[in-house]
Amino acid sequence: MRIAAALQEQFFSWALRGKPPEASPVTLGQRRVYVLPTRAGIGYAAVLLTMLLGSINYNLSLGYVLTFLLAALGVVAILHTFRNLVRLKVSRGRTPPAFAGEAAAFHLVLAGDSERRALRLWLPEGGTTTIDVPARDSADACLRLPTTKRGWLALPRVGIETTWPLGLIRAWAYCAPDMRCLVYPKPAAKAPPLPWGAGEHGGRRAGGQGSDDFSGLRDHHPADPPRHVAWKIAARQGDEAPLLTKQFDGAAASRIWLDWEATPGEDVETRLSVLTRWALDAHAAGLEWGLRLPERSLAPASGGEHLHAALSVLALHGQG
Amino acid sequence: MRAPDPNTSMDGVIAAASRVILGKDHQLRLALACLLARGHLLIEDLPGVGKTTLAHVLAQLLGLNFQRIQFTSDMLPADILGVSIYDRDSSAFNFHPGPIFAQVVLADEINRATPKTQSALLEAMEERQVTAEGQTRPLPAPFFVIATQNPQYQIGTFPLPESQLDRFLMRIELGYPDRAAERELLAGADRREVLAGMAPCLSPAELLAHQESVRRVHVSDALIDYVQALVAHTRESADWQAGLSPRAALALLASARAWAWLADRDHVLPEDIQAILPGVAGHRLRPAGDAPATGSVARLIEAVPIP
Amino acid sequence: MAKARSPALSPVQAWWLIATGIAVAAPLVPHIPPWLTIAAGLALLWRTALAWQRKPLPPRWLLVLLVAAGCAGVLWQFRTLFGQNPGVALLILLLALKYLEARTIRDGLAVVFLAFFLALAQFFYSQVIPAAIASTLGVLVATATLLALADPRDPPLATLRRAGVMLLQALPLMLLLFVLFPRVQGPLWALPRDANSARTGLSDTMAPGSISELSQSDAIAFRARFPDGVPPQRQLYWRGPVLSDFDGRAWRPLGEKPQPRLPYTEPDAGGIDYEIIIEPHNRHWLFALELPGATTAAMLATHDYQLLATEPLATRRRLAMRSYPAFHAGSDEDATVRRRAMFLPEGSNPRIRALAAQWRAQARNDDDVLLAAQTFFLRQRLLYTLMPPLLGEQTADEFLFDTKQGFCEHFANAFAVAMRTAGIPARVVTGYQGGELNPVDGWLTVRQYDAHAWTEVWLPGRGWLRIDPTAISAPTRIDLNLAAAVPASDPLPLLMRVDLAWLRDIRFRWDAVTNAWNQWVLGYSPARQRDLLRRLGMREPDWRSMTATLAVLAGLALLALTAWTLRQRRRRDPVLALWERFSHRLGRRGLARRPDEGPHDYAARIATALPQAAADMRAIADLYARLRYGPATTGVGTGLDELRRRMASFAP
Repeated sequence: MRIAAALQEQFFSWALRGKPPEASPVTLGQRRVYVLPTRAGIGYAAVLLTMLLGSINYNLSLGYVLTFLLAALGVVAILHTFRNLVRLKVSRGRTPPAFAGEAAAFHLVLAGDSERRALRLWLPEGGTTTIDVPARDSADACLRLPTTKRGWLALPRVGIETTWPLGLIRAWAYCAPDMRCLVYPKPAAKAPPLPWGAGEHGGRRAGGQGSDDFSGLRDHHPADPPRHVAWKIAARQGDEAPLLTKQFDGAAASRIWLDWEATPGEDVETRLSVLTRWALDAHAAGLEWGLRLPERSLAPASGGEHLHAALSVLALHGQG
Repeated sequence: MRAPDPNTSMDGVIAAASRVILGKDHQLRLALACLLARGHLLIEDLPGVGKTTLAHVLAQLLGLNFQRIQFTSDMLPADILGVSIYDRDSSAFNFHPGPIFAQVVLADEINRATPKTQSALLEAMEERQVTAEGQTRPLPAPFFVIATQNPQYQIGTFPLPESQLDRFLMRIELGYPDRAAERELLAGADRREVLAGMAPCLSPAELLAHQESVRRVHVSDALIDYVQALVAHTRESADWQAGLSPRAALALLASARAWAWLADRDHVLPEDIQAILPGVAGHRLRPAGDAPATGSVARLIEAVPIP
Repeated sequence: MAKARSPALSPVQAWWLIATGIAVAAPLVPHIPPWLTIAAGLALLWRTALAWQRKPLPPRWLLVLLVAAGCAGVLWQFRTLFGQNPGVALLILLLALKYLEARTIRDGLAVVFLAFFLALAQFFYSQVIPAAIASTLGVLVATATLLALADPRDPPLATLRRAGVMLLQALPLMLLLFVLFPRVQGPLWALPRDANSARTGLSDTMAPGSISELSQSDAIAFRARFPDGVPPQRQLYWRGPVLSDFDGRAWRPLGEKPQPRLPYTEPDAGGIDYEIIIEPHNRHWLFALELPGATTAAMLATHDYQLLATEPLATRRRLAMRSYPAFHAGSDEDATVRRRAMFLPEGSNPRIRALAAQWRAQARNDDDVLLAAQTFFLRQRLLYTLMPPLLGEQTADEFLFDTKQGFCEHFANAFAVAMRTAGIPARVVTGYQGGELNPVDGWLTVRQYDAHAWTEVWLPGRGWLRIDPTAISAPTRIDLNLAAAVPASDPLPLLMRVDLAWLRDIRFRWDAVTNAWNQWVLGYSPARQRDLLRRLGMREPDWRSMTATLAVLAGLALLALTAWTLRQRRRRDPVLALWERFSHRLGRRGLARRPDEGPHDYAARIATALPQAAADMRAIADLYARLRYGPATTGVGTGLDELRRRMASFAP
């Protein structure tokens, strides 16, 4: 078993011609595209052999013609299948980050001068996908790979194969584009509620600069939008009274710190997982939140980019 | 296909402007192209390199009226757009137009304002009209906003989000002047005086006619192929977080038309696209996490062959 | 690793399979029992209905039952399950029932492979051009089905077109294989009894009516080509079975063991060379002009000068021959042979016997008897017709004295009987007379309706002489053809009718094509292969040299095909093509255009590198930029010419 695995590894490193990963884009040269008959192709050859024997035995000249025509068709199919794969350009596409336990989606961009049909891509222990590439255009193939650990997940060797057009011949090639996916820690399923007490500025922020909840009145400034002028009060009080402007609070905008030290959990991974859950919750609640880890911290902020930055820090914690 | 006496006037504008903005011909041309393509310009640079002067010079030379808005964090949308004030004498609301009602608006340090105020400006820019109290008031034509943004991350600033950056046709950086230009600046006369003494080279009507003829610059199928290839590359490559939008592709074509027109050509060449690409695409493309930020547009140009 | 289940057939793929079945099975309908046609048709209809309504396929036990019933039917029909006809019937049965259980792609592949077998099976029955066309259509549809099984998304016409293109691309390699694949003379194992059954042609007995049967058939017996010109029609007696044994009604050959050599020595002069291609008739007989010169390998001769093949003619046979029309053999004929050639059963034909006794009494020698007999035949005013009345026991008597109407076998029979009663050795020779020259390719075509019977008499010192009694009464039969000799009311095969000139013309052309087909496609035997290769310059064509040549040429063909299929050239802007060629030219000096470099940037770089050519370069780049990127109003045609001129004269 071990020998077989070693041999297989040997074959792959030979098949990839050089150490993976390769610089993108990878062009599938003629030397790295392999061609063999499929199971159906072997059946086809057996059928042809039988037909040849029949033609010889019964001296059927047209039998020879038919057999040779089909044999030549098989050869032409080799060419077509080979051409369907050779000189395909594989370049890196996007790899959106994933949470551990989810499938990472590696996008590969396939392009070629001529039309490519029914290309099947597969990962050794991941998903497969089938895709067409129009002539002089490119197509985006998405390969899914299950993730288990946080951190960088490198794209393993990708197999690309095709049996188009006749299904008798299989051409395949391997490539390993230099791609990796950032895997965030898995959010804890059962996490304690957000650590409000740890916030520097816990509680509501005053200011009345939102627009959702009515919070009071103040004197009118000329630049206030007329919508916000308290016309009813103005009408009630008559001309002498000053105009008042209604004040509104924003959504309960708050600031919170997610602190490593204040995070429950015995081991590193559990803590990271809880922090991840908290970060997601804080983001979903629209809070302004900061993250404090032993080796670095992120100032409180909000928004998708901040979330990404924080989750990246969590993902790469202790991994340099 | 050109309005009469075209480039003499435009060349005149550039020549005159370069007497004030020293050694920045390329940026001047880009700014003019942006104006001719009816776009708005974002200048991102350090204070003191001449952003305000550039806006001033353009307004002066093109004979356009000019307003400057210095953005601060306590600014409200009404401070820009204008406000209806209840006039007790006439018992009616009178609209007092804000500073945005000008042909050239310099929005200085736009990232100091709150997102709400920023978006009020940007919506007005995009729609070329101001809607207040249910009434729509068109902005003057031509209408050209030059916004400046301080690149350094500072406390109390609100960097423009991507969706808002997209509303600027181009983003340029002025950079420090080279030694010779700086020496001339130091040794020469006060730029403000030079500026004050300048006479307009164009009338607003002529400028509008030029904008119209820029639209008629020919774009061949081969060139559209090139633009599509560029845009497709940004969408598929892992070098950027997101690809260029269709609006960005249109912006590329519009700017390239203006650039070609400035070069006195009736058709767009791939070089025109390449010349305006950093300005048009630079602020629309954010490099992906592990890709180097600098030179990403240059890599884009290198990666896509001209079809 | 668990074997993945083959994916299910989509409706489109099911339709394709049905089309394939129809395309390959339809040409076989005339050759299989009608009940099988109906059963297979019903199965197809059933499958079609199921495909239409998207209903599930019948259960497996039902199919097993149907297969058993079908096999029983075949067994009942042919009394065996082995052999060619039951084999084809079983194949069709299998195909029809495979449809009813075709659920997955793998089943679909099995159907297509069966279809390939059936496309081959057609050739058991016929290898004529229409059969080849029918089979080609079947293969086209089957190939399209293979395509659809691999990828069913294309519309049907596109799939068919792709299949056609692939088959066309396969043609060169197919031709190479056909010409150079070392041929083996079959059969490799014993052919089943029913192989090559049912062929029309002469039989080895002659009774009244046996040849007139053939006069309605326009099937081709053989073709001949005379390089030095066709001899006159009256010399074209193609010798077939010689019948000496007479039982009073039917004539049969003596059946002595044939020898490798003819019993006479070949004359020195007067030979005619010709080539003959005999259609298969499942007998040993070969046909040759009287009298043939010498035997060759795989050829035997009877003592009565008939040529035989060592094996029955199951395939078309091509022979080079030489004959001597003026030569008579047998002056030293064996006495027993002469005696057997005078035998008559007791009491046969008394009237002619009496007459012959008269001739003998009045004659000084055999020549006088012969003359008297011929005169008698002439005076009897015998009528040559295809529809003679039925004859009784004494066939010669009744023909000569009562009905006086007959076909060539009646004439030959009566004359031979008359000669024998007169004491002159006589025998009947059957074969063909005449033939039709095809002006298109110069081949003489001899059809079954040219079948003929005549007599030979033996005269002392002279040997066997040919006497054609038909020629006495109906000389036009010999000088022209059958149609000219028989009454106008007699039914003739369509091809013999002289009034349809255009039809004859078409027939001549079609015959020429068929002949070429027969010779070059169907008749491409191991011998012909060696012959052709020798003529093509291969010194010693054996299987080794053939395989080597095949490998080399197939490799070359493959290379050419590869180059062709890998050709990435697309329809491009001619301006761009010029520009790229120009850049390529400068590339030899290390100044190739970078892919991302626009025309003006490139011109600027070239101008720096080659200052002496800067102006030219800028002009070229300007022109190129205007042509490629400018508005279409600039005349592209003239601009293109100018660009080409400028680039040609660009000499940095």
